Amino acid sequence: MRRLLILTLCALLALATSAADAQTKKSGKRRAATKKSGRKAGKNKSAAKKPKLPPLKTAADKQKFLAAIRDSMPVRRAGGNIRYTPLDLDRSLEYRVGRDRSYAPVINDERFVRRVHLDLVGRPPTGNEVREFTADTTFSKRPRLVDRLLTTEAYARKWARYWKNVIFFEATANRNRTNPQALEDWLTEQFKKGAAWDAIVAELVSAMPVRDKKKKKEKNDWSQKTGQNNFVLAYENKPPLLAAQTARLFMGISIQCAECHDHPFDKWKREQFHELAAFFSRGKYYMPNLDNPAKKTEMKPKFLLGEEPPVKLTIHQRRVAIAAYLVYNQDNYWFARAFVNRIWNELVGDGFYAVDSLGPDQECLHPSVVNRIAAVFRYRKFDPRWVFRLLLNSRAYQRDIRSIDNDEDLFTAVRPIRLNSAQVKSSVLRLTGANRNISRSVDREFRFDPSIPQRDLEGTVQQALFLMNNPTLQNKLNQSKLKKRLVKIKQPRRLLTQLYLAVLSRQPTDSEYARGRKHLREVPDQAEAVEDLLWVLVNSTEFLTKR
Amino acid sequence: MITPHPPTLFDMPLSRRQALGLSAASLLGPLGLHAEQIKKQQRACILVWLAGAPSQMETWDPKPGTGNGGPTKAIKTALPGVSIAEHWPQMAKALGEVAIIRSMVGKEAAHARGTYHLHTGRRMGGPEKHPNFGSVVAAELGDTNSELPNFVSVGQTLSSGFLGVKVAPFIVNRAGQLPANVSTTVTSPRISRRLALLKAQDADLSEAGAAALVEEHRVLYERARRLMTSPKLKAFKLNDEPAARQQAYGKNQFGQGLLVARRLVEAGVPFVEVRRGGWDMHNSLFTRIKPAAAQVDRGVASLLGDLKRRGLLDRTLVIVAGEFGRTPKVNSKSPAPGRDHWARNFGVMLAGAGIRGGRVVGKTSANGQEVVDGAVSVEDLFQTICRAMKIDADKELYTPGGRPLTIVDGGKPISEILG
Repeated sequence: MRRLLILTLCALLALATSAADAQTKKSGKRRAATKKSGRKAGKNKSAAKKPKLPPLKTAADKQKFLAAIRDSMPVRRAGGNIRYTPLDLDRSLEYRVGRDRSYAPVINDERFVRRVHLDLVGRPPTGNEVREFTADTTFSKRPRLVDRLLTTEAYARKWARYWKNVIFFEATANRNRTNPQALEDWLTEQFKKGAAWDAIVAELVSAMPVRDKKKKKEKNDWSQKTGQNNFVLAYENKPPLLAAQTARLFMGISIQCAECHDHPFDKWKREQFHELAAFFSRGKYYMPNLDNPAKKTEMKPKFLLGEEPPVKLTIHQRRVAIAAYLVYNQDNYWFARAFVNRIWNELVGDGFYAVDSLGPDQECLHPSVVNRIAAVFRYRKFDPRWVFRLLLNSRAYQRDIRSIDNDEDLFTAVRPIRLNSAQVKSSVLRLTGANRNISRSVDREFRFDPSIPQRDLEGTVQQALFLMNNPTLQNKLNQSKLKKRLVKIKQPRRLLTQLYLAVLSRQPTDSEYARGRKHLREVPDQAEAVEDLLWVLVNSTEFLTKR
Repeated sequence: MITPHPPTLFDMPLSRRQALGLSAASLLGPLGLHAEQIKKQQRACILVWLAGAPSQMETWDPKPGTGNGGPTKAIKTALPGVSIAEHWPQMAKALGEVAIIRSMVGKEAAHARGTYHLHTGRRMGGPEKHPNFGSVVAAELGDTNSELPNFVSVGQTLSSGFLGVKVAPFIVNRAGQLPANVSTTVTSPRISRRLALLKAQDADLSEAGAAALVEEHRVLYERARRLMTSPKLKAFKLNDEPAARQQAYGKNQFGQGLLVARRLVEAGVPFVEVRRGGWDMHNSLFTRIKPAAAQVDRGVASLLGDLKRRGLLDRTLVIVAGEFGRTPKVNSKSPAPGRDHWARNFGVMLAGAGIRGGRVVGKTSANGQEVVDGAVSVEDLFQTICRAMKIDADKELYTPGGRPLTIVDGGKPISEILG
């Protein structure tokens, strides 16, 4: 049975290039297909020559078929014992960046514990978590913390939210016809159970949401409650949008310009764009003629690297085919690399290239390093947790921050990173307690497109005004448990330590302690002094920064 | 009703700004403003957005006595031979100042898509999120050092797309009130105390390797404080407008919003949008139109008169538009009939900033179902607006991905209404 499917896969992927090769395979495929369907060869000659694919109409059939392709990937069998450790990564990266450069030192435990919490579980650590971690004297506590956080629901949720935002930030679909929350929930489930990235993407791309005939009268029911339908729905099930977004999100390639014209710098041509789009079409697909709108050219589905389905496919089969060409394609190194680059970009503040705008001939910094990580990621069966373990345990991730102005200095230090709205929200709400008004304001004021490079992001005046003056926020801070607790503390040292741990997840430095003590002495009303200090930390750059 | 507001920081002396390391020179920029820039900056635009899509036949293109006309009557206007719907008596008198386009041809008949098209000049669905035209104006004509934001919207609107947060609309939810979070109950000495501590706190992080972020943070806080303490902030409030003028604009959210818009333009804001919803009249159109039109009629006519009296109309473009039009055929919905979505012909009104008043552009057929003369596309409209605003419509804006996009994609300005 398995062999049978592999042969069918071969038909689908059309890996053979030489005619003779194709010929032998074809006969094999035919036999396979005939056996599988349990039918005799077709009645007429031409039908007899064509391999027959299962109809793949349901999501379950699609997944089963894709899983069979997955199991037959040669790298999966060959790559089992390849080792690539954080140390290997650091050595090769430092070799490429230059050994004689000045590298920022590795950060201390206090800094590490906040960084890794923000990155893996989307919130800063509590004062107790910081104290426990710094007090721990056992060996390899950092990798163990990483391992532990990777098993939490919060990890799954954080990265599900990230990908939901990535997918939906440019979405154009009517909001009533999508369900971003369902997508987030589905992704959370996937990350939680340790699903492989290939399987996740294959399911998203091959989805073919259909309106339930019984429910058709129910307005706007496009099966968006099924989380995995929402990538396709976010882009209105439209072939050109899906083509552009599939390349952008899952390969890191920007080809949308090619929809209208041949890009002067890129390899991708207009025709290739529309051949890719043809996979997502429900019927014949036509490329519009830009000079004459009445004229159009029919395009047959063809993947970006030239792979072509050998047989005519139904709409359902086409979705499976594009998923297979994207994910289970040894030539498509972009797929694994795009994931690695995005995660790297989130963790370190810069990618090896801008996460979604790579042209194939455009620059990728230190390609040998990122390509290697991507290759091992594939050998590791696209396990997202493997990527996190590799990066988080590396020196490259654990270095101190530094302002980075040019590409040569990249990865000699970590860029200070602006927190996203969810991280800001958790940082604020743990001080004020749950509050819908504050949540909504933070969501609105602090949201940004996760695909934009950190160095291009900007804060807003409204953010500053919100943190300085918002009446609800100020009120809740001034009445918070934290403030009430702090006001009762007589010793400045204890008070300031608790304040800094609660707000910035670290102990105050000597100069901060001196400043705080002076303020507590100068302001006669202790409650007022504490409010001031709390305000200052909430309005500080550090509060909004992963450092 | 204007309610008393908590004390603002109007009276704060400049010395406290210096606590943040601010100097007069950094406020004005190193060189001051270029003469050409100042001239350009004088252009401003007020977009009156009738959300839900008003019916062309109950506004600027009535068809009384025809099968499609419904009960709406036409009235005479200041222009001989030109009639508009009966619901607009004040605008009828002001028609000498305005140009009416009766032959807009849209391509979108769904609210979100039409709103997008008429706010950006582009159709929704490409790979890019296009900017609200207000953001384009803010980027092209706005003063980066101004105390007030360069794009204010009274009511929600589309955001700045790929142009980014700097030129995003500054939303005011209620006309006549200060924008959210600009006032505080904290006393001035206490604020300066806090800001001094904040400066020290951030200096440490700056030294620890986040100099660029800290500097940006400082600039934002400086701008926030400039806004909080700006005397121009009173442009958002109406308490120094005479009661009679407030009355003239209409004592309702929309009318007061227009009055705020005029005040903001006067204070140097180059783009203000004022939203008035409730135009999606699928049913009971002929009764619902009356109060809605009465508000807008009165408000816009007062705005035009007020701008003119102050000598602002010559440099201020006023646009009245919605996302599309409504079906010429009256439907039979309950409880009373209305009109549905229709993009094939609809109306837009323009005035000021050199737009020739007293002109009617285009003509529709007797049954109002098609444009028979002078069709104007959305792109044509944006070309016209750009011309009036002295913005180069062919200028290329760059997306974060480096893709160049002209401000307007194709189309031709309507020369007959441009001075």
